Amino acid sequence: MTEAASGSGKPARASAAKFKSELRKAVRRNAQEPEVNFLNITAMLDIMTIILVFLLKTLGESSAAIPQNDDLRLPKSIVRTQPSENGVVLTISKTQLLVGDRKVLDLPGRESLAQTGVGAQEKRSGPNDLYIVKLGNALQAARKIDRRVREAKGLDPSSSESIIIADGTTPYRLLIEVLFTLGQNEFARYHLMVMQSKEMPR
Amino acid sequence: MTEASNELSAAQRARVRRLSTPRELAPDEEGGELNIIPFLDIITNILIFVLATVAVTFTATIDTTPPASGGKGVRKEIESTALNLTIFIVNDGFSIKAAGGNVAPGCASPGPGIAIPKKNGQYDYEALNACAAKLKSASPDFESESQFYITGNPSTDYQTIISVIDALRVDMRDKRRTLFTDVNFKVPR
Repeated sequence: MTEAASGSGKPARASAAKFKSELRKAVRRNAQEPEVNFLNITAMLDIMTIILVFLLKTLGESSAAIPQNDDLRLPKSIVRTQPSENGVVLTISKTQLLVGDRKVLDLPGRESLAQTGVGAQEKRSGPNDLYIVKLGNALQAARKIDRRVREAKGLDPSSSESIIIADGTTPYRLLIEVLFTLGQNEFARYHLMVMQSKEMPR
Repeated sequence: MTEASNELSAAQRARVRRLSTPRELAPDEEGGELNIIPFLDIITNILIFVLATVAVTFTATIDTTPPASGGKGVRKEIESTALNLTIFIVNDGFSIKAAGGNVAPGCASPGPGIAIPKKNGQYDYEALNACAAKLKSASPDFESESQFYITGNPSTDYQTIISVIDALRVDMRDKRRTLFTDVNFKVPR
């Protein structure tokens, strides 16, 4: 009909505006919802990575991170108190004495420890003295830092606290020497770290 | 010159059809994101490994003060009516000293000897607990007392000391009754 209307052999064409309008309609008609052919898990991955980092950091800093091995095995106790987090950490393993992460002293064998403690050469005035000189020096440095920390926290800076992490086989003599040296360096309160147990050890 | 028509011509319809058909993506154009699934697998494995290998230990702390040496030390004043319970951990058992002097074997009366001897070669913590409860009940003045002293042979191990502290903490026959919770160490002679 349009061909007839044109009066020539060429078919009649619609206007450009009509063509564009029809094209837009057809595009809208044929438009498809985007197909979900993969799951976007980037957000979940972000969360998991953050959880992993957080978990590693928390475990690394918490008291639960005390390594339990042959050199250091905490004594068991029925005590259910919340472990104290304040204080300078002092570790007594079977072979070493540490203040924080720094090794202060290598310890002799258990027999020797039970008789004379760490040994006369490490004492201030002979084998009967309880003051361990190297430990005392390390504690003095730790006390200076801890005093400033306590002042900043609004705690009483006149004395410090110490968390003692000791192996279950530590002889009483060595324990007393360590506690005595702490006391001589303005550490007035100690927290003896133990592992919770349901039953009292035999 | 041809007149514009209201209807599209066959060529125009064909063009509209061609242009409005959604373009198929080439295989290399699909999913234009990084494949992070292997990385996610690794992260998940690490997470499970970390959780499985970390030994979850529940810790607690026992508070104390510097040990007494030559009558000195940081601690509370003790009234003359106090029990002043002192436990000596010796090789044969527990020797106990209280307000009335040394406690005799069996924890019945004052007298010399080891108050709580070892039982089958092991320290008898149950008997120590019963003795401490008995001594605390000896006078109403002792009921409010919570501190005790502990000393031992130089070779006494730390675990034994902690077990003694545990044994003196709560009355095993009446768990609601607190006995002695504040520990003070004495220097062995």
